[in-house]
Amino acid sequence: MSRDGWRKKASEDDGWGGRGGYMAAKISKLEEQFQKDAPREKQKDGTSSCIFSGVAIYVNGYTDPSADELRRLMMLHGGQFHLYYTRSKTTHIIATNLPNSKIQELKGEKVVRPEWITDSIKAGCQLSYVQYQLYAKQKSLNFTSICARGKQDLSSTNDPFKPNPSHPHIIEEDAERPRVNGIHDGDDDDACALLPRGSQDTSLTNGYVHPVNGALKPQDSFAEHSPHVVDIGSHQSHLPQTESRDREEPSCSSAGSKSNFHQRSLISTASPAKQPGLHSMQKDLHPKPTSNPGTSAAPQKGNLHDQTRVRLNGSYHMTPNSSNLADSSHQPGRSGKGAEAGVISEFFSHSRLHHISTWRNEFSEYVNALQSRRRAAGGAVFSGKEKLKKLKANCSSGILSLWFMFVRQSCILHVDMDCFFVSVGIRHRPDLIGKPVAVTSNRGPGRVAQRPGSNPQLEFQYYQRKQKQYRKDGDLEMTPSPQCEEVPSNGVDLDLAALSMAEIASCSYEARQAGVRNGMFFGRAKQLCPDLQSVPYDFQAYKEVALSMYETLASYTHNIEALSCDEALVDATNLLVELGVTPDDLARAIREDIKEKTGCSASVGMGSNILLARMATRKAKPNGQYFLRSEEVDDFIRDQPVSSLPGVGRSMSSKLTSLRVSTCGDLQQLSISRLQREFGPRTGQMLFRFCRGLYDRPVRSEKERKSVSAEMNYNIRFTQVEEAETFLTNLSMEVQKRLEGAGLRGRRITLKVMVRKPGAPVEPAKYGGHGICDNFARSVSLAQPTDSGQLIAAEAIKLFHAMKLDVKDMRGVGLQVQQLEGSHADPSGQGPSRGRSIKDLLLAKQPAHSPKKDPLAPQGWSSVIRTGFFKSSPGLSCRVLDLTLVKHTYCKGGLHHPHTLNHVRTCLNVSIEVPSPSQVDQSVLEALPVDIRKQVEQSWRHREEQPSTSSHLSTPPRTSSSPPPGPSLGTLVLQLPNQLGQPCTTGFILELPDFSQVDPDVFAALPRELQEELCSAYRNKGNTQAHVQAQSSAGDPHKKLFPGNSPAKSSPSKTLPLPLKQPGLKTENVQCPSSSSTDVPETLSKFNPRPVPTLAGAYEFSDIRTLLREWVTTISEPMEEDILQVVKFCTELVEDKDLEKLYLVIKYMKRLMQQSSESVWSMAFDFILDNVQVVVQQTYGSTLKIT
Amino acid sequence: MAALTRQDLNFGQVAADILCEFLEVAIHLILYVREIYPSGIFQKRKKYNVPVQMSCHPELNQYIQDTLHCVKPLIEKNEAEKVVVVIMDKEHHPVERFVFEISQPPLLSISSETLLSHVEQLLRAMILKISVCDAVLDNNPSGCTFTVLVHTREAATRNMEKVQVIKDFPWIVADEQEVHMEEAKLIPLKTMTSDILKMQLYVEERTQKT
Repeated sequence: MSRDGWRKKASEDDGWGGRGGYMAAKISKLEEQFQKDAPREKQKDGTSSCIFSGVAIYVNGYTDPSADELRRLMMLHGGQFHLYYTRSKTTHIIATNLPNSKIQELKGEKVVRPEWITDSIKAGCQLSYVQYQLYAKQKSLNFTSICARGKQDLSSTNDPFKPNPSHPHIIEEDAERPRVNGIHDGDDDDACALLPRGSQDTSLTNGYVHPVNGALKPQDSFAEHSPHVVDIGSHQSHLPQTESRDREEPSCSSAGSKSNFHQRSLISTASPAKQPGLHSMQKDLHPKPTSNPGTSAAPQKGNLHDQTRVRLNGSYHMTPNSSNLADSSHQPGRSGKGAEAGVISEFFSHSRLHHISTWRNEFSEYVNALQSRRRAAGGAVFSGKEKLKKLKANCSSGILSLWFMFVRQSCILHVDMDCFFVSVGIRHRPDLIGKPVAVTSNRGPGRVAQRPGSNPQLEFQYYQRKQKQYRKDGDLEMTPSPQCEEVPSNGVDLDLAALSMAEIASCSYEARQAGVRNGMFFGRAKQLCPDLQSVPYDFQAYKEVALSMYETLASYTHNIEALSCDEALVDATNLLVELGVTPDDLARAIREDIKEKTGCSASVGMGSNILLARMATRKAKPNGQYFLRSEEVDDFIRDQPVSSLPGVGRSMSSKLTSLRVSTCGDLQQLSISRLQREFGPRTGQMLFRFCRGLYDRPVRSEKERKSVSAEMNYNIRFTQVEEAETFLTNLSMEVQKRLEGAGLRGRRITLKVMVRKPGAPVEPAKYGGHGICDNFARSVSLAQPTDSGQLIAAEAIKLFHAMKLDVKDMRGVGLQVQQLEGSHADPSGQGPSRGRSIKDLLLAKQPAHSPKKDPLAPQGWSSVIRTGFFKSSPGLSCRVLDLTLVKHTYCKGGLHHPHTLNHVRTCLNVSIEVPSPSQVDQSVLEALPVDIRKQVEQSWRHREEQPSTSSHLSTPPRTSSSPPPGPSLGTLVLQLPNQLGQPCTTGFILELPDFSQVDPDVFAALPRELQEELCSAYRNKGNTQAHVQAQSSAGDPHKKLFPGNSPAKSSPSKTLPLPLKQPGLKTENVQCPSSSSTDVPETLSKFNPRPVPTLAGAYEFSDIRTLLREWVTTISEPMEEDILQVVKFCTELVEDKDLEKLYLVIKYMKRLMQQSSESVWSMAFDFILDNVQVVVQQTYGSTLKIT
Repeated sequence: MAALTRQDLNFGQVAADILCEFLEVAIHLILYVREIYPSGIFQKRKKYNVPVQMSCHPELNQYIQDTLHCVKPLIEKNEAEKVVVVIMDKEHHPVERFVFEISQPPLLSISSETLLSHVEQLLRAMILKISVCDAVLDNNPSGCTFTVLVHTREAATRNMEKVQVIKDFPWIVADEQEVHMEEAKLIPLKTMTSDILKMQLYVEERTQKT
């Protein structure tokens, strides 16, 4: 069950964000922010002027320098920057390219190139913009454009990055100014363009010093910024913290010292000036547009966005964005490319949705940090636990506890805050308690003027139609719909169009009674419930409360899984046994604690598994607790609506409704076969189990990432292919940052593009939004996992070209990297040079190879699929594609072993691999016998494998070893003693290029021992990378397809027909049959009664043959482990009733080995054959006939 | 079309139909290839898009048909483990056994993507293997006969006693003599795995045939 299944289904995806009132509010908000930031920016930069006073620019499309840089420059030099074009206020439009339609539209406006600004700054005065006008038509109107100075400037400033604000001004008299004014009086809408500088100065100060920011004295802001310039990662000076507190205070004046305390201890603001432009971008990006009502909220919000780095009790988590943010705003004269990339990373670093979504990771991180701290401290102090213990001692309720001691079943607590956003929002406003309250960005009465030029009705109709259709035929397509039930069915409610489109993020229970729902538009909600009070977003407070909730939980146990900012799972099984209290006692204590510390109420659901706990929470709400006893489960679950099951979303519940299923009880009536027929084998199985309350996922505090991506669907308006390419490059850099931040590399790159739906309005209702779009996605697999932005960009651009889109219609671009593997590039664990040098030697060939190979790959493969193969038998090709997905999943799963496993069962794993200390679960280590632990530690210390260890290593059952090092690790141990000390053995193995890419000459030139090492490494590699091998052998069309680009639409959850599915499974299962149940998603393993035998990851006969050939031809003397491995494989073949393959393998080996000059090989073959014959004899009563 | 699972009634039937049809073809072909009957009684036909030989002897055909007819219910219920075509010498000692080992496909369901043509492909491969199997087998002594054995799973035999699919065509428990083969050599011929069935064919051959 993926995490996504649990996600709240409210309506985060409505695709049609607010406009109108929202926009108006936003624009004014943006202006405030701009003004607030300006002084800081000035302070920081040191150089400022007022040359642009009275100028208000609006940047249209791609510019060089970027809009952000321009914005900063405008800040510095007294100008205004509008993120939204307003005819009456904006004086200049900055653009480097405009489509024809825009030119028509902007007739009469001053459209200038960005150089105007940079050159003006350089010149120290406002130059005539005439020179820099974008269009010839305008130029022809303005005869003065051919003035000597302008030319000079033009020629001298072709490089837009030259101008530097801190540059000493090259003063030239702006004698031209009056003239310019004169010329342009005619076509200017407003006269404010070029006023004498002096007269503007006073108003400027007034305008820019925000009243709320009175506390922000110049030196303060300087102090705050300077540390970050120096070192943003490590600096945690006290000063910024206090600083942030100071700034906080005016905004949450009623906040007690407690909240301040929290803030001080947990959060230090990190980053500088926020950019209104980006603010608005992020607002529009996600469908919950927010703008803070009331000026008092402004600084708070600033803080929130500044918190890209959050300090969590000693271990701080830094998102990769924050550094970039600092970079982009602190390095005035940096290169254009970086600045562009900055746009994207700033966009993300400011996005609220992004923030909230990263919170879960942060809290997971937090939990992990707690655990590691406990390990370091040698046992933690669980204050809450102690308290509870005392409490229990006082009122020793022996019988109750005894009961639980006996039962000793697992108990999961699901802690969920009650309408989190609301209760946080009103916790200091007792006047609102008990009233219908909604958290939304709208602050007005819920009505706004419609923005001219847009056609909201049309879009509205579109979504309505789509939804109706969706309801009708139960379309499985994910449909973004603005409102669920509330859409008036009689066509378009014109009145509605004027209502506020600000969405309700959360509403109180009182409001819910009135029919208000989360995700509803505020205007509509106001109609339903006229008393509805709106409360602004307060992200700072959310974070505080969330953190204190997690702190509270952590004071009981560290067995916490963070689900989101306001809900968490706690595995209390051990805790309860230890304390001898009932789940209800524990829940009560936790709830009281949370209430006391946060002022918000939480509900707790308890059950024997996660599913039941969550369902119990529903019953517990609001502000209650419910323990679902195992004997009550059947009765309880029967009445639950199916929609309360995780993974049952709108589409599935409508499908279930068509089957006349509305409750879990109804669902129980359906047979598993029926469910599987309707929903596919996995989903069917899942439903079958869920509706019976069965769910066996453990609470896990650590999570593996499946993909790393960056997506931007706001303000994408390209005019030229080059722009799109640049954008993709920048986006790739962002992805690179994220990959690096997560320490991952990915093998598969997916480009997602939103394209304006044919017939949809060119400009959507929402400014800069994406409107009605079609989504396209393409993927490509790389030979090697990468985290290089350049590589990703190259692939992305290729994919982009392959899509053959009209760039003008592009509305959103996303890049996703999947099939992640741990990056081995951990500098701390730089292994001995000997081990690496082999790899380097081989990798030296890699760069030359992969770019050449990959460009052809996607097109070539896709065409194979589309034309020949797909046409002739769609079924088959689908299978192949599905297979690819499954296989990837598995490979990935396998590769993640060292990171993800922290269960006790994997301790063998750990000891076998001896990963770097950072990757070993300390508790596991502790659980090991003393001697083994010592050995492991020793191996870290010396990065040298002791012989005793290796003997030890081979003692644990081979089957339980994890795939990457494989059972033939023994070879590695003996031959590559240093290798084991490497931070990540997988990393090393995976770094090897394909067989096909190994130059035989190079190989032959290697010393024998190196060759052997390589061979064994390849064998290991085979464990995890069967598909790479498949890729390398070009003969089989099927195999060529494996790495190919399976379109994103082919779903991995589809039924996977057997023959092709098996390879995917084998990667994991065969190598570690015993551990498979822990790691493989349980649903899949259920469908896999018998894994396909593999030899070091190879399952296809040709692969096995290649493997054997390599083995026999490159090694003079076979290792015993290898021989045993082959025998094991053959035995498995017999058990799998695949005698044919066995026969072929044996015959091939016979040929190979008996031909070999070394007699050892003949003996090896005899040994293998004897063993195999015994097995065959036992199974079939006869022996193989080997001729 | 939604995915079908083994639990669905007609799933087993379909699989059994396909398999029995194949077995019929295979038995005819084995009889031809192993020269149990004079080649004169065989006719060339086309099955699975490849030429096969089929006997025209009505009684022989009837015997094969009846046999398979009785096997079919077993296959439907997944109760037949092996269907063995035993070739015996004059003394009724087996010299060769063609074993069709039937097992359940690993994946318990099929989807709309399961194509009959794919199964047909696999069966064709098996047929072709049979038609060339004389290359890996020693010649049989003259005067051989054949019989068909079914290895059932668990207590399937008892049900067979009760329910006679075809009247007057009862099954008997095979003699030890017919089953046991001394110094047998095993020659795997073909393994197939499809969504609906997994089957492998191998030949057990007596080392000393004469």
